[in-house]
Amino acid sequence: MTNFVDYLLGGFSNGAVIALMALAIVLVWRSTRMVNFAQVGQAMFTTYVALTIQQSTGSWILALVVAMAAGLVLGIVVFFLVIRPVKNSDSTGAIIATFGVLIALQAGAGMIWGGDPQGFLTPVDNSGIEFAGRIWPISLYDVLVLVVTAALVIGLTLLFTKTNLGLSMRAAAFNPEVARLSGVRVNRMLITGWAIAGATGAVGGVLIAPVSTISPNSFDILLVFAFTAAVIGGLDSLIGAVTFGIGTGLVISLVSGYSDSGNAPIVALILLALNLLLKPDGVFGHHGARSV
Amino acid sequence: MKTLRSFPGNRIIWHAIIVGVVWLLLLLLNNNIDPLYSSYLALVAMYATAMFGMTILVGLSGQVSLGNGALMAVGGYVFALTSMNWQTVPFFGWEWNAIWSMVFAGLGGVLIGGIIGGLAARLKGPYLAGLTLGVAVGVPAITNRFPELLGGENGLMLTVPYPAGGYAAIDAGGEVATDEGGDAAVDIETDAGATGEDQQYAELDLSEFDQGTDPLAEEDLLTEDDLLTEDDLLTEDDLLTEDDLLTEDDLLTEEDFGAGGDLGIDENVVDPTEDPGVDGAGLDGTDIAGGGFIDGFDSEFIIERWQASMAIAVACIVAFAALNLVRGRQGRVWKAVRDDPVAAAVVGISPSGSKVSAFVVSSLFAALAGAVFAQILSFIGPGAFGLGLSLSLLVGIVLGGRASLLGAIIGALLLVWLPELVDGLSGERGWPEQITNNAPNLLYGLLVVAVVLLAPGGITGTFKSWIDKAKGRGRATLS
Repeated sequence: MTNFVDYLLGGFSNGAVIALMALAIVLVWRSTRMVNFAQVGQAMFTTYVALTIQQSTGSWILALVVAMAAGLVLGIVVFFLVIRPVKNSDSTGAIIATFGVLIALQAGAGMIWGGDPQGFLTPVDNSGIEFAGRIWPISLYDVLVLVVTAALVIGLTLLFTKTNLGLSMRAAAFNPEVARLSGVRVNRMLITGWAIAGATGAVGGVLIAPVSTISPNSFDILLVFAFTAAVIGGLDSLIGAVTFGIGTGLVISLVSGYSDSGNAPIVALILLALNLLLKPDGVFGHHGARSV
Repeated sequence: MKTLRSFPGNRIIWHAIIVGVVWLLLLLLNNNIDPLYSSYLALVAMYATAMFGMTILVGLSGQVSLGNGALMAVGGYVFALTSMNWQTVPFFGWEWNAIWSMVFAGLGGVLIGGIIGGLAARLKGPYLAGLTLGVAVGVPAITNRFPELLGGENGLMLTVPYPAGGYAAIDAGGEVATDEGGDAAVDIETDAGATGEDQQYAELDLSEFDQGTDPLAEEDLLTEDDLLTEDDLLTEDDLLTEDDLLTEDDLLTEEDFGAGGDLGIDENVVDPTEDPGVDGAGLDGTDIAGGGFIDGFDSEFIIERWQASMAIAVACIVAFAALNLVRGRQGRVWKAVRDDPVAAAVVGISPSGSKVSAFVVSSLFAALAGAVFAQILSFIGPGAFGLGLSLSLLVGIVLGGRASLLGAIIGALLLVWLPELVDGLSGERGWPEQITNNAPNLLYGLLVVAVVLLAPGGITGTFKSWIDKAKGRGRATLS
């Protein structure tokens, strides 16, 4: 039982990062009705930028802020160069194009920063907290991850529910034609969606980097987990992405604890397949995943 | 031509003739080029085999799948496991040979592809891509789950059934035990550029093919007597002196080589430092040619040529099947469902059935290509069959032309040629390794985006639309 609790607790911070990545995927889906398979690649790239900043200035906060800004810019660049031209022409092409971006980003990162895994220093202690006579599987850094994630999620919720911008974005996502007729600048909303998604993914990347390591391909697996969480959550539900992102993190932690961390992708795959088989629209979603 | 087209039988004959002629030309080419180019040819044929399946899946059926690299792994593993473990065909008792391994690799692909396809093929584009992405990323995890059977991360070294031991009959004695440590296998890379190294393994494996030696018998086990004693320690007397230096007389002349021919000769055979007593007289032709390690091969046997002819054979058979499918009724069914599933359903086509069938056919082709790839590498492991391979297949098919079999061939050529081009350029310009290694992928990524945006039909589609324009007909992008 102690094991079970420990494994669960240890899964929260990983789950938070998966939730952020899933959130980024959902934000993009809501704005343009497509899955950005380059999302995690963008996060990888901005995390390398953050690594460079941290190595040269030593400041973790600055690195995080720069990564967010870089994620914002990268999201906009990818949207303008790739997504906007392809979006309306050919849905198969749009999926392929995001994979093209992923390949190019990974190769670009390999060119600039090399292919070897690099470590990323934590700003605070990353060993288990000692409390009430035992060492808990949660570190100060995990707490920081959870706090940053919670702040971001609350910020996004407020943005979408309390501000005009959020309302316009929801309108543009829900029904672009009607929104346009009501004076919402739909295209601008799409860009905003991509930009926010880029920044959210960037935060996720910076948060996970110290725990794993960073290399051009090291986030591939995160893409699978995040996609799984986003799909189970229903792809257009922010709450769904966060809930099932953390849920996926917990499941992975349990699987890794009781068997072997190498089995985590298989379990994620089984979860995804079961979900698509039994409830293809996800738990919080209301659109058709199946076409025929 | 019009009358010919109305008879399906005749169309099949035409396809057979086209494929047969291409096959012959390729074999002629293969026999007259440098073995280095033969090894490229083998890779091109292997990629083309897998990408004919991608043409059907992505191009005709409109399903973006990243699972085909994983299905190649299925084919490769089935080939390796059956050729290493089975001496006869189960239930029938026929003598095993490598062609059976190919058949079973294909069946394995159909089985796994059917399962994944049944789950995934009814899903909309992004869901399918995401699920198959999970499959591609999960391959290493699955091999790690069964380390005893699949060799874990290190994969399996497999004994390639060269003609001597035979595509006719694999000699049980010629088998290499699976190398669990497998350190030799670790650094095999997916990219085509690394095959130089892989070829070495293939050549080393030749030494295992001596005259059908038995597997190690009990007598061969080391006993206590074999333990080294103090007497075995080297003393000063054992030091090599000047007398031991090889002189000019010791140089091997052409006569010494006998039937050795072009084969790379194992260094160990003529290592003078091992035995100071070796002198020129001791080394004659029989030591090399008669030592048995190249017995069974005539002097003309060149491994790259054999690999290429094997890969070409598989590619041509698959191309023939693909041609008939794509240009026949089934091809029209796939396109109809891709363009408008509802309209297709109205005329009595089952959309989900059509999508699953595209998935299964492409899985079959992928598995066959995987079996060929495993033989080219004489190795199968998760590293070479991961997400990168799946992405390469997607890149190739998009660049060549999504809905065209010719496009698949052009894409396969690009996949093999571009890294070599970059390698050559970097050698000239002296680029650092970091740039050279990543430049091909950067180019692929950018080219894929550019092609999707500017020329969705890829190379063949663009040519076709040019030709159509020149003829004054309408625009045709995706076949």
